[in-house]
Amino acid sequence: MRRLVAVGIGGVLLLASCGGTAAPSANPATATVAAPKPDIKIGLATAKSGAANFYNPQQSNGALLAVEQINAAGGIAGAKLQLIVEDDGSVRDQGITAFKKFIEQDKVAAILGPTLSAVAAGAHPVAQAAGIPVIAISNTGLGIVGKCDYGPCDWIFRASLGEQSAVPETVKAATQKLGLKKVVIIYGDGKFELDDLTIFKDAFKANGVTVTKEIAYTAKDVDFAPFVTQAKGENPDAIVASSLAGPAGKILDEVAKQMPGKRVIGGNGLNSAALLSNANAGLMVVGTAWSKASTDKTNTDFVAAYKTRFGVDPDQFAAQSYTAMTVLADALKRSGSATDHAAVKKALEGVSSLATPLGAFSFTADHDVKQPTFVMTVKDGQFTPFQ
Amino acid sequence: MAEQLYNAVFIGSIYALFALGFALVFSVLDILNLAHPTVFMLGAFIALFVIGTLGLPWFVALPIAVLVTGLFGIALDRVAFAPLRRRGAPALSSMISSLAVTLIVVRLVELRYGGDFITFPAGSVPAFVFRVGDATFEGIRLAIVVLSVVLMLILTYVLRRTQLGRDLRALAENPRAARLLGVDVDRAIAATFFVSSALGGLAGVLLAFAYNTLDSRMGVPLELRAFTVMVVGGMGSLPGAVIGAYVLGLGEVASLVYLPTELRDAFAFGLLFLVLVLRPTGLLGQKSPDRV
Repeated sequence: MRRLVAVGIGGVLLLASCGGTAAPSANPATATVAAPKPDIKIGLATAKSGAANFYNPQQSNGALLAVEQINAAGGIAGAKLQLIVEDDGSVRDQGITAFKKFIEQDKVAAILGPTLSAVAAGAHPVAQAAGIPVIAISNTGLGIVGKCDYGPCDWIFRASLGEQSAVPETVKAATQKLGLKKVVIIYGDGKFELDDLTIFKDAFKANGVTVTKEIAYTAKDVDFAPFVTQAKGENPDAIVASSLAGPAGKILDEVAKQMPGKRVIGGNGLNSAALLSNANAGLMVVGTAWSKASTDKTNTDFVAAYKTRFGVDPDQFAAQSYTAMTVLADALKRSGSATDHAAVKKALEGVSSLATPLGAFSFTADHDVKQPTFVMTVKDGQFTPFQ
Repeated sequence: MAEQLYNAVFIGSIYALFALGFALVFSVLDILNLAHPTVFMLGAFIALFVIGTLGLPWFVALPIAVLVTGLFGIALDRVAFAPLRRRGAPALSSMISSLAVTLIVVRLVELRYGGDFITFPAGSVPAFVFRVGDATFEGIRLAIVVLSVVLMLILTYVLRRTQLGRDLRALAENPRAARLLGVDVDRAIAATFFVSSALGGLAGVLLAFAYNTLDSRMGVPLELRAFTVMVVGGMGSLPGAVIGAYVLGLGEVASLVYLPTELRDAFAFGLLFLVLVLRPTGLLGQKSPDRV
């Protein structure tokens, strides 16, 4: 047995030594020409497992498509981009571990991710402390850029339309088109839902609409009939669902049953492909960062390229990670040196009206995204502009 | 008000249907089967597979899902519980091994169907509607309300009046003595797991039909409720679990109607606390190990 183990270890060592020497002597002819520039490594922390795993593979694929297109077009001043994808597990600690690996082991030029705002609250401070630029590709909650709970967050940029931008546009459009006077908000107890509650209340106030009741549910609630029955008692003009897609589907069904003709206004939580198959999805009004139906050429090219490469249509999360990678590549080109993190950060700050699938893309002084909001509803199983 | 009462009865029925199978294994075998929410979820996904992939109607999918989850229950016992039982492992070990089965099955379902919630193909879910005056009742919801009580009565009858029930009660009291008295303990355990899991699967299918939505974690919110109703009703008592379920359902809806929404959970679990203080064995619980 012991001999077997020794032979095994010897074999492994032999293989390792072969692998180690093979690379430098692979092609001596290239020694005479200029050595190829080392790859520029980009880290992507994304939820491949855990509660938010349904954002993948789209989130990874969007970034991958952008990298492939950029490399095919000659890369960044002759250097290829190399995408390193790590699973953040939808949990804070795993997100932190992924960020540490990117920074300490992979020596990346910049990081994209992680998927969830709650994970970002743990992982972003790691990059902030190390001085590595980060682009948040799907964090829509409060405190991601600008004023952050953990202190300065000037190395963090956001390419995902925050609820502070999308919700007021949605409320404005809904108030005008539906003639809203009073609404009831049904909201969940997670960070995202509570942030949305605050933003919705402010937006309705700004539009002169009264919120007559706020009804809380918890993540443990199974049936939403009692909440909608309570809301119905207020006779509101519309229901606001400050929730994620799962509860929103049940709220839509109950509103259709108990309050026929009323609409459900929601935040980014309702912006989910899974809701499209809901028979009552046509009731919802939601502000989104991306519209597949947009006829802008950059968008139609992206949709076609994604479908050719992966065989399915992209969703918003693919569009956002694709955009973030495009924005990063633009900054890397202008920075002059991908290894100079401060130069990359400065170049990111200079991104201005870049053509992306999300529309003309810039960063605000707070590093937040500045892009159009698409107020949508659902028709025939597709997100369509809310008229 | 009548609407909220109906909502409360429906919610109570969901809790009851879920808790019955959970309470059965606990009452007979003293095992907290943490894989029960997974069996519940599996029932719904088997129905989805039969309807969506095999293209069969819902009334074929329902019995298939119940049968397959029942058989899964027996397999679950053989894999996760029986080896530990043979070695006399502590109760904690069985809880951990059932948790491991949960993780594996949930991941396998996610690999096939993804982690997001999904719906049945359009028009494939039963949609009977009854009208009584102005009120509208959905058939599937009424079925859940009726079944939660009927199944509790049938199970109680089986446990009290049949040979299998006598075997199970002997097993619950003392497995070794039951074996010495000629009870086929292995068969009785297999029957317990089959019935418990079939009930869990049935609950999963009915709930998925009622909401036309299913996801890999759909059983998780019900697990804590099932613990609560078992404690309120009396650990190990099946009628107690059903009564506990209705008490919790009514309490939750009443607190939504009469209290600020932030206090809803505090009210429901305050109720639990009160029951435990006034009646530590639960509403129908017994002090001796003479359960079931």
